[in-house]
Amino acid sequence: MKNDNLMKRFLAAEWSSLLILSLVMMAAMTIITPRFLNFDNQAILTRSLAPLLIVAFAQAIVIGIGQMNLAVGAIGGMVAVFFGGMMEAWGFPIPVAIAIGFACGVAAGALNGAIIAFSGINGFIVTLATLSIFKGLNLGVTKSIPFYEMPDALVWFGEARFGPFAAILIVPVICVVALAWFLKYNIYGRQILAVGGNAHAAELAGISNNRVTILAHTISGALAGVAGMLSVARLGVGQPTIGGDWLLASFAAPVIGGAILLGGHIPILGTVLGVLVIILIENLLVLYGVDPQYNEFFVGALILAAVGFNHWRSLRAEARLKEGKA
Amino acid sequence: MTDVALKIENATKRFPGVLALDHAALELRPGEVHALLGENGAGKSTLIKIITGVHEPTEGTVWVDGEEVTFKSPHDAMDAGIGAVHQERNLIPRFTVAENIMLEAVPTKRGQVDYAEMRRQAEYWLSELDLDIDPDLPVQRLSVAQMQLLEIARALSLKSRVLLLDEPTASITEHEVQVLFSFLRKLKAQGVAILFVSHKLEEVFEICDRVTVLRDGKNACTNVPISDLNRDGVVAHMVGRDNALSDLGHRAPVDAPTKLELKDVSTRIGHSNVNLHAKKGEVLGFYGLVGAGRSELARALIGADKITGGQVLIDGKEAKISSVQDALRKYQMGYVSEDRKGDGLILAHSVADNIGVTIWHKIAKFGGFVTDTMQRKSVRGFVDRLEVKTPSLQQTLGNLSGGNQQKVSVAKWLAAETEILIIDEPTVGVDIRTKGYLHKLIWEVAEAGVTVLVISSDMPEIVAVADRLIVMNEMQVVGDLPNSRDYDEMSQKIMQSIVGASDLKESA
Repeated sequence: MKNDNLMKRFLAAEWSSLLILSLVMMAAMTIITPRFLNFDNQAILTRSLAPLLIVAFAQAIVIGIGQMNLAVGAIGGMVAVFFGGMMEAWGFPIPVAIAIGFACGVAAGALNGAIIAFSGINGFIVTLATLSIFKGLNLGVTKSIPFYEMPDALVWFGEARFGPFAAILIVPVICVVALAWFLKYNIYGRQILAVGGNAHAAELAGISNNRVTILAHTISGALAGVAGMLSVARLGVGQPTIGGDWLLASFAAPVIGGAILLGGHIPILGTVLGVLVIILIENLLVLYGVDPQYNEFFVGALILAAVGFNHWRSLRAEARLKEGKA
Repeated sequence: MTDVALKIENATKRFPGVLALDHAALELRPGEVHALLGENGAGKSTLIKIITGVHEPTEGTVWVDGEEVTFKSPHDAMDAGIGAVHQERNLIPRFTVAENIMLEAVPTKRGQVDYAEMRRQAEYWLSELDLDIDPDLPVQRLSVAQMQLLEIARALSLKSRVLLLDEPTASITEHEVQVLFSFLRKLKAQGVAILFVSHKLEEVFEICDRVTVLRDGKNACTNVPISDLNRDGVVAHMVGRDNALSDLGHRAPVDAPTKLELKDVSTRIGHSNVNLHAKKGEVLGFYGLVGAGRSELARALIGADKITGGQVLIDGKEAKISSVQDALRKYQMGYVSEDRKGDGLILAHSVADNIGVTIWHKIAKFGGFVTDTMQRKSVRGFVDRLEVKTPSLQQTLGNLSGGNQQKVSVAKWLAAETEILIIDEPTVGVDIRTKGYLHKLIWEVAEAGVTVLVISSDMPEIVAVADRLIVMNEMQVVGDLPNSRDYDEMSQKIMQSIVGASDLKESA
C-alpha cells in the first residue's frame, strides 16, 4: 500500500519520465557498448556535463520570470577570454581572476536586467542586442586568438577526476544546490517565481517587478560567467569561441525538464535531467561513431517529444479534474 | 422574410462551478435596434458568445429567420448572417483598410489574392456606409471612431442581417457617437437587426427600440418597448434586489478618528476634485455604474496609478505614495483586486505561497530566509479562520473553487495586517453562502479596527455591508450618504445621486 503510494508520487513528479528515459538510455548504451561504463567515458561525459548544467540554469532563472536571455553564451565567452587573459597576459593569480571574472558576469547580467526594467523594451530584443555587443567585444579585443598559457593548477583541476566523476562537476553541484535553495527558501527567490507566476498580482502585493527583473538577469549573468570560466578549466584554453553553441541547449534543458516559458516555475531536477539527456545523446552518437553533426537533429526531436509529452500530460490532468468536479 | 431575425430561448450556460446564463431569452426583429443591458457579470457577454458561436449553450435553442440553428464555431454564426463587433478591436493595424474589411472573404484569382477586386469590394462597402476613408490607408493611421465604423463595415461585408455591437461607443467622442448613430439608423431602414450593448443609458434611450435586461444570468425584463420604460425603471431592472442576501445583524455606528482623507484629489485617469474621508474601523461603500471610476480611484490610492493633484491624508498626515510597495509597507494599505485571475492571484502556485507573498519580508529570518514550515505557520491561521476549503496548504490554488480563491485573496491581505483595506467587488462569481460569509468577514475586520473600503456594483450588497456610501459617476463623487440599511430608501437615494448628476451635466 505504502509502496503503491510512493510509486504513484514518483510517477506524478514531473521529472520521473525524464529519469526513466535517461536510465533507459544508459542501460541501452551499456548493453550495446560496454565501453559506456568505462570510467574514461564517464569522466568525459561528466566533464562536458559540468558547464552545460550551469548554462541551463542561467537560462532557467530568466525563464522563471517569463523572459529570455539570448546573451548567456556571449556573456560566458566574454568572461572566459577575460578570465584567460587576466591570467596569461597580466599574470593574475587564479582566485583574483575568478573574482574579477565573476564580477564581470554579474555586471553584464545586471546591465541586461537594468536596460529591460527601465526601458521597458522586450527582453528578447535587449539580450539579442547585448549578445552581439558582448560577442563583438570579445572577438574584437582578442582578435579571435585564444589564450593558451593557463596556470597548471587550473589545467589540473580541469582534468582531475574522482573515479568516474570529473572534478569540475563540483562547481555545477554547488551552483544548482545554491540556486534551488535560493528559489525555495529565500524571499527574493520566491519573488522571482511570484513575478513569473503573475506579474500584476506580484506588483499589487508590493513586489517591485523592475527589481526582480534585474535580479534574475544578474543571477543569469553570474551563472553564465561561471560556466565560461569553468569551460576554460575544462579545455585548458581561454578560447573566444566558448559559449558559441550554448543557446540551443540552454533553452532545451529547462524546457525538456518542464519549465513554463510564461514563467513562474523552474524545474530544478527536470533541468538537471534535461541536460543529462542532451549529453547522453551526444555521447551515444560518439560511441556509435555517428557524425556528431547530427547532434542538433536529435536534440530538436527530443525537445518536441518532451514538450509534447508534458502537454499531453497536463491536458489529461485537466480532463480528469473536470470529470472529478462534474 | 419572417418578422423575427433572431430568437433565443432558454439559453443556459454552465461553466465549472458557475451558472453564467440561466434560461435567458431574447428576440431581434429586422429593422430594430435592441438594447441588451446588465451590470458586469450579468451574463451579457456569455449570451453574445452563444449568439456568435464562441460558446455552445448547455441548454437552449437559437432560431435564425425562424429556422433552428446550432453553431459549432464562430464561422457557423458568420455563415448564418450574424456579424459582431466585439469590445476588443479585431483589426490588424498594419494592414490596409481594404485588407481589413475583406479579411474573412479575401477575393482570389487563380489562387492568388486579387487586390484590385479586394479594393473594389472594400470601396463598395465604404461608400455604402458613406465613409470617406482611403481603402489603401493602413488602419493604424485611422481615428478610433473610424476604426469602430470600419469594424462595422467588415461585419456588414459578410452580408450580415444581424449585427451585434458590444459597447461600440466605449472609446469614441460624443460627435463620433452621432456619426455612428446616423449610420445605425440607415442600417435599420435597410432591415438589419441590431443588438446594442451599452452601459450608457442616454444612448440606449436615444437609439434603441426595445430593451432586454439581464441580471445574474436571468432575464430581468425581456423585449420591452423602450417607450414603456424610463431611466429609473431600467436601472431598477439592472440593479434588482437580492432577497437571498443574508441578514448581517446590527452594527453600531463608528465613532473613531479619521483614518483616510482625500482632499481635492485628481488622477491621471481623469478623476477630479475627489473629496472623501473614512474613519478607523469604518466600512465605506463605493457604488457607481460601470465606468464610474471606482476601481481606478482605488488603484491610484495604492500607488498603482498616478495621483496628479490634491492631498491624501492618512492619520491626519499627508501621505506620499509613489508605489504599491510604499502603500503596503509604509501605510499598511492593501487592495483586493476585482480581477482575481488577472491581477489578484497566482493560480499555478500553492495556497500558502499566494497568501505568503505579502508577508515574506516580515517572516523572513537572517536577511531573507523563509521555509515552507515558517510560511505555513503564519498562513494557517488565516486559512482556518476564513474556512478555505483546501486539502492542504500546498494545494495548487487553481484547483480550488471560485469562492475559495476569493477567500484566499482576502486572506493574503489580512495576513499582511493592513490598516486600510480596499476590497473591489468582494463577491463576484462566488456562491450565496460564501457571499454571506465574506460580508460577515468584512464586518469582523472592521471591528478589529481596519478601515475597509468596499467597491461593489451589487447595490443590495453595498447597502447591507457599508456604514456610509460614496456614490460615484463619471470619475466624480456625486453622493456621500449615511447608510440607513433600508434598501428601498437607499436605492432611491443612490439612484437620485447618479441620475441627478447626469441631469445636471446635460442641462449645463
